[in-house]
Amino acid sequence: MRNLLEIKELIKRFYSKNEVFIVPVLKFLLALIALLSVNGQLGYMTRINNVAVVLIVSLLCSFLPTGFIIFFAAVFVLLHCYALALEAALVALCLFMVMALLFFRFSPKDSIVVLLTPVCFGLKIPYVMPLAMGLVGTPASAVSVGCGTIVYYLVHFISSNDVAINALESDEATARLRLVIDGLIDNKEVMITVAAFAFTVILVYFIRRMSVDHSWTIAMVAGTFINVVILLLGDLMYDTNVSVLGVLFGSLAALAICVVLQFFVFSVDYSRTEKVQFEDDEYYYYVKAVPKMAVAAPEKTVKKINSQVTRTTHASSAHQPERNGAGQRVQGRQAPSRTISTQSGSRGRYPERRGQSAGASPEDYEEI
Amino acid sequence: MLNEERIILMTKLASYESGEGKKNTAVGSYFRSDYIGMQVVKSVISATIAFFILFALYVLYDFETFMLEVYKMDLFDFAKSILILYGVFVVGFAVLTYVLYTYRYNKVKKNLKNYYNNLKKLASMYDKNKNF
Repeated sequence: MRNLLEIKELIKRFYSKNEVFIVPVLKFLLALIALLSVNGQLGYMTRINNVAVVLIVSLLCSFLPTGFIIFFAAVFVLLHCYALALEAALVALCLFMVMALLFFRFSPKDSIVVLLTPVCFGLKIPYVMPLAMGLVGTPASAVSVGCGTIVYYLVHFISSNDVAINALESDEATARLRLVIDGLIDNKEVMITVAAFAFTVILVYFIRRMSVDHSWTIAMVAGTFINVVILLLGDLMYDTNVSVLGVLFGSLAALAICVVLQFFVFSVDYSRTEKVQFEDDEYYYYVKAVPKMAVAAPEKTVKKINSQVTRTTHASSAHQPERNGAGQRVQGRQAPSRTISTQSGSRGRYPERRGQSAGASPEDYEEI
Repeated sequence: MLNEERIILMTKLASYESGEGKKNTAVGSYFRSDYIGMQVVKSVISATIAFFILFALYVLYDFETFMLEVYKMDLFDFAKSILILYGVFVVGFAVLTYVLYTYRYNKVKKNLKNYYNNLKKLASMYDKNKNF
């Protein structure tokens, strides 16, 4: 555990030292993954289904605010849908606009979740999102996770029914529209997943806020359990064809990822919990203080010893000033019987000892 | 000589000013009623646009049937039911906005009060230093 905490400290230090570079790189990677996923799922417009375009847009996103990643991902979805059928693009546009108008006006910070949820679906770890947002977010995150889930299912529906959408004649615009809307509204799997995720976010949030020891761990386990139960119950009741093994293994993977998240965000030592009670003029205070687990990152001091050293067993030269290879006047060390004098030239007095100084203890030498 | 306590306080203040403080100062410059009222108006506009988008989708969803029945139906009753729906939707959204932004405004004011107290503390530290 100590080693892990040291690694955590090192990572934190590395991040704070190189934040200027790390944040753009992370933004670039997020944009790249999101846009590649969109292209992989839809990919109807050949002009933007192109790695060069994706790379340019991702690069652009790396120094623009995070909201632009969502904006470009939405634009990519709309363009692909438009290339398939105008009606599909219309439904997607309406969905995005309603989300932006009704929800993201209130919590623009949470809007990144709408992007991360479909990305996690694509990476086959969708159950991470409700658990993680319950741990680090607020109950309002349930709406963001729900919106992200709906976006994923819309994209998934369009990509898996593109042949059916295309088969309808272009003059049957309302039929196409109806097909896409029905695909979203009549899909019980969407409703069950949204309900399960929303309930999980809220449950995890309330449990992790409780004043009980190991509240985060309890919240994660309870959240995973309730998520699995709701999804499987939904499958039994509405025959949503959810893969039982997929749900179980996906939930276990989500739990494992959230354990890592907990380690970085909330690592405390319950064995050293202190409970104190005091009062002032207005209140009685019952305080429970749980110390954070932390260790100082190991400090490494690098002492440079030049690789080309000449070791003099001082019999004749230690008491005599000598000149090194650069012609500098060097005074030999007197008290210990050994002296190292650095040589800027290529020749040492004892060539067989060259390159051995790195393994030797620095105390044995004196650098001049 | 460097005053460590003062430097820590200044760093905290600078960090607040460059991050959360920017938004909070903008919010704090409004009167409570003005700020909340403005947000409610924005929400009403947003809700209106969202409602019309949803209504347009509803009409388009079954456009042929709608066009066939539009001559038979009582348009006044239809408009009335749509207006009631719109009213419920917008009022519900406005109430939600009012509650949320009242809470946010109070929180911002509390943060700003804390910030100004820290500024006073910093000023008093400078005064103390001058007296020495």
